[in-house]
Amino acid sequence: MNSCRLLHHEPAIGAWNMAVDEMLLERAQQGAAPCLRFYGWSEPTLSLGYFQEYQHRTQHAASRNCGVVRRLTGGGAILHDRELTYSLILPPKHRFAEHRDELYRAVHGCLIEVLRQLGIPAELSPGERADDSPGPFLCFQRRALGDVVVGPTKIAGSAQRRRNGAVLQHGSLLWKASPAAPELPGLEDVAARPIALETLKSLWIDRLQGVLGCPWRHNEPLCEKEVREAEGLVKCRYAWENWALNRGRGLIAVKIPFDDADGS
Amino acid sequence: MKLDPKSIQYTSTHEWIHLEDGPGGTKTATVGVSDFAIQALTDLVHIELPELGRTLHAGKPFGEVESVKAVSDLYSPVEGEVVEVNASIAQHLDLMTTDPYGAGWLIKVRVKSGGSQSQLLDHATYKRQCEQAME
Repeated sequence: MNSCRLLHHEPAIGAWNMAVDEMLLERAQQGAAPCLRFYGWSEPTLSLGYFQEYQHRTQHAASRNCGVVRRLTGGGAILHDRELTYSLILPPKHRFAEHRDELYRAVHGCLIEVLRQLGIPAELSPGERADDSPGPFLCFQRRALGDVVVGPTKIAGSAQRRRNGAVLQHGSLLWKASPAAPELPGLEDVAARPIALETLKSLWIDRLQGVLGCPWRHNEPLCEKEVREAEGLVKCRYAWENWALNRGRGLIAVKIPFDDADGS
Repeated sequence: MKLDPKSIQYTSTHEWIHLEDGPGGTKTATVGVSDFAIQALTDLVHIELPELGRTLHAGKPFGEVESVKAVSDLYSPVEGEVVEVNASIAQHLDLMTTDPYGAGWLIKVRVKSGGSQSQLLDHATYKRQCEQAME
């Protein structure tokens, strides 16, 4: 039986985090084993969905001083701070690689089981009727089919990038509200009690192993070649201002004015 | 234009291609996304297609489409130059759903003579691939 690589990475800057995920997606296209990666952020960081307009960040004054990075995955902007972040990378032909919604449901379904085990009544969101509007700027103010909600509050969501049959799924579980996005309550705010994130993560990993159908391969750090490839992606893409602005499509960098009306 | 899905060819990454003879022995390829893939994507929200004149390479991305937070790359079946882009699509993504082999076409490519070409599947083979994916 094939194994699934399990990585736990220390907090890092947004450009590095995104570059490692893209490097792993590239390797998955070449047939590398599935990989589940948990990581953190060395500072509160706003990530934009792949197609989002950079200028729309002016809609969110609380995160104005945060660094910004553009994800490879779709959806809305996420303020990464007090959260659990994961990426799941699957090669072509994996049973979940072909089916977008099944992968969302599989990962979120396991999370919901764990949250209920911890006494939190989480469930899958039925989503909202799609229309032509771009929707709220922040991902956690949107509701898509399969998001994880507790009552009216979305506490986890995911997004995907699909290339040549391989898939990268990014996801965030909000733990506590961030000062840079105070309007978004986290799990502890909703539960009104402390939640041990490491315990939750461990339970989630156990359940995911059953669903993904392969044993974990632990403690395998990135090899030199992987680090070099990720460093290359940092330089040529994620740390590049024009990537965050417009995916590097030739527009001139401009200073984005923020609305100071709320004094923040 | 309304193509019969049984008369055109497909890539394993779900693009369809219809080849026509052009002037001077050239060939023009019309490219779109198969009905199977569109049904799997659902709720398209954004697409980006190449600009006119861009050179495409077989098996390399020529565009991107987003649906329900999933961004998927679109792959060119042939090597050549983009000579026409369906200008209606960006504003009317529903055309890809309602008429994938007609008004939902994406680009036309002047095929480079002797250029590279992805492995193309006939309708029956492509259909089998889709059925296996659903299992």
